[in-house]
Amino acid sequence: MVFAAASTASAIQDIIALYGARGAVAASFAASSALARQIENGAPADIYISANPRWMDALAGAGLIETASRRDLLGNRLVLIAPADSPVRVDLSAMPALDALLGDGRLALADPAHVPAGQYARAALEALGLWPAVAGAVAPMNNVRAALVLVERGEAPLGVVYATDAAITDGVRVAAVFPESSHPPITYPAAIVAGHASPAVRAFHDFLFADAARAVFAAHGFTLK
Amino acid sequence: MPGLTPEEWSAVQLSLRVALLSTAVSLPFGLFFAWLLARRDFLGKGLLNGIVHLPLVLPPVVVGYALLVLLGRKGAIGAWLYDTLGVTVAFKWEGAAVASAVMGFPLMVRAIRLSLDAVDRRLEAAALTLGASPVRVFATITLPLALPGVVTGAILAFARSLGEFGATITFVSNIPGETRTLPLALYSYTQVPGGDGPALRLAVISVVLAMAALLASEILARRVAARLQ
Amino acid sequence: MIEVQVRGAAGAFRLDVEFAVPEGGVTALFGPSGSGKTTLINMIAGLLRPEAGRIVVNGAPVFDSQAGVDIAPHRRRIGTIFQEGRLFPHLTVRANLVYGMNRTPPAQRYVGLDQVVDMLGIGDLLTRRPATLSGGEKQRVAIGRALLASPRLLLMDEPLAALDAARKAEILPFIERLHRDIQVPVIYVSHAMDEVLAIADTMALMAEGRVVAVGPVEEVASRADLYGAAGRPGFGHAETVIAATVAEHEPEFGLTRLAAPAGALRVPRLDRAVGSMVRLRIRARDVSLALSRPSDISVLNIFPGTIEGIDDHGNGTVDVTLDIGPGPQLHAQITARAVHDLALGPGARVFALVKSVAIDRYSPAPASEPSGGGT
Repeated sequence: MVFAAASTASAIQDIIALYGARGAVAASFAASSALARQIENGAPADIYISANPRWMDALAGAGLIETASRRDLLGNRLVLIAPADSPVRVDLSAMPALDALLGDGRLALADPAHVPAGQYARAALEALGLWPAVAGAVAPMNNVRAALVLVERGEAPLGVVYATDAAITDGVRVAAVFPESSHPPITYPAAIVAGHASPAVRAFHDFLFADAARAVFAAHGFTLK
Repeated sequence: MPGLTPEEWSAVQLSLRVALLSTAVSLPFGLFFAWLLARRDFLGKGLLNGIVHLPLVLPPVVVGYALLVLLGRKGAIGAWLYDTLGVTVAFKWEGAAVASAVMGFPLMVRAIRLSLDAVDRRLEAAALTLGASPVRVFATITLPLALPGVVTGAILAFARSLGEFGATITFVSNIPGETRTLPLALYSYTQVPGGDGPALRLAVISVVLAMAALLASEILARRVAARLQ
Repeated sequence: MIEVQVRGAAGAFRLDVEFAVPEGGVTALFGPSGSGKTTLINMIAGLLRPEAGRIVVNGAPVFDSQAGVDIAPHRRRIGTIFQEGRLFPHLTVRANLVYGMNRTPPAQRYVGLDQVVDMLGIGDLLTRRPATLSGGEKQRVAIGRALLASPRLLLMDEPLAALDAARKAEILPFIERLHRDIQVPVIYVSHAMDEVLAIADTMALMAEGRVVAVGPVEEVASRADLYGAAGRPGFGHAETVIAATVAEHEPEFGLTRLAAPAGALRVPRLDRAVGSMVRLRIRARDVSLALSRPSDISVLNIFPGTIEGIDDHGNGTVDVTLDIGPGPQLHAQITARAVHDLALGPGARVFALVKSVAIDRYSPAPASEPSGGGT
């Protein structure tokens, strides 16, 4: 049973299909925080893939993961998106007036208070000196996919999501890519849950790092560690 | 209020404001549809009944998404509202009130309809023979006699609003001071490592508010019923 | 005239009625339960729509299916008093009373609150709630409430049916007084003959959804053939209703002598003025027959007469109809054996014996006379 961050959903499902006859694998996708809470409360997860090291650290601190198995699996990029029919172009290095671009609309993003994608977004905007202008005009959503939907529907003129999220729909276009230096590296650590390290589990865990799986991740837009 | 941080206090006030507006706005509609379902027969009545109860059985997130599609700034109805009247509820506390109103609507209609059904139709007939028009009969006979159920329905919807989460966060997001009601604030705290303390405080406040609302409903309903004796 | 011709249904029950009654006075709608009386009342009040027909009150149609007229119940100004009262439980007696009055334009009001409260004796009930009232008090308030809306026709649907005999006796005078003092036409539904005889002038007999006879009370009440039509075993027994006047009081033995068309009748002391009209009800089973005028017998009322008809019920009893002179025919119910032993047949000359104490007296009150009631 794999508990994986929501943004890895389609990639992991393809990989499970690829794993095929080697073993039966089930997966549950949700916000990293929700999954971590469930594991804390004894959920039957064997492998945990988090979108943010913090939750992995939290579980490690509680002794809930097999430390030796922890490895950084994926990376991701942060992008600024706009609805597909919006002509807006943004050069993030030139201190763009995002608040002017937003008008009376809002910037859709995952909730910076607790969702990793939102935390990265806020860090990036702060690093670029753009946060104060937009802080009062954000629409914090429960997860990054919900932010994507807002922009796709045109309810929000701009949004900040992962590159992998922007790639799954034609309803949005990428207006700018945040420089990797503007935010802590987006790292997806993967680890085996403490006490669940059976040979079958180890086998799938290793498969995640195999070339075949890495190719699938790359195809979905992830960067590889 | 002692012991509450400004954020917590803001969430409480916002929740109360949202609950009050949502209840006040949905009450006339609740009365109308309860009356329609209780007193009239028409083609499609079963369908209407089903639609009224949808928010009760659908996942709240689905309802929130439906509201987004209908009432968002680019929504089917929202776009017209914005273009002609300059009015929008997206990302505003009024939108949270709409989400609460929709989610609480089935509870309100059920309670009111039950008490309308219990009103003796023969009394209404007698009032007609005394010269009261159907509207006057409703206002002076049916409604006063159905009042306990109306009170219950309103307070149920109010209490439901205090706990409303899924539709709200999907429709109007989690904006502190604007749409971050108690349930949303509580949820945010539970998502942060070490946020259990504040989450528990907010949970206690939510319980206290809900119990107060339900107790008030009990007392009001009993008092109104006593006046009918 | 109040004309009603309607055809309709309520559930599985079919109604097909045609009758006309005078505008003033009290018209009784009489028949067994299930004969359609309440259905008809609901149609006249506008609470039930007939399939077809015409209802005319005071010259104006309130319903006419051909002309497309169907005045809504709240506009018909036809007051209704129901068997179960139907007082509004959330309002005081006073608020109940004025409910209809407040919706009547002052120009159309012909009674006032004080007048009605006095007439019905409900002054000290005004601040009470209906739930605290007795059955009789509730009905009096219901009557007052309907009246205060100044209706042009008053329908009473078995208003006394839910009350015991004592309450009935208490309220019947109010109903009589009602139509005497206020002069609103009344249609009074009942399956109790003594109520009808006490207050009605005209009577419409209903059975199985049809009106079988209409006419002055004395005529219709006496028609035994109709009781077969009115249907159910045990409903309606042959009886004779006679209108008589008080001729003289005989204080020595506490009797009153009445003058009926067929002759004099003596009854126990009746508290009415000489010259006042009294309705007498003689049940057929209280009438005995003799071939010769008996002497040394306790019966005071003896009428010579000729047998007009003999109706054998087949169960050992027989209805004999007698011509005793002017006025209604007298009905006697005797055994088949007696008929055989006395060799009775049409044309036979007999004497009818009616015990004084067996005669029910009713004093329906026309407008100029003091009212009374019951036996």
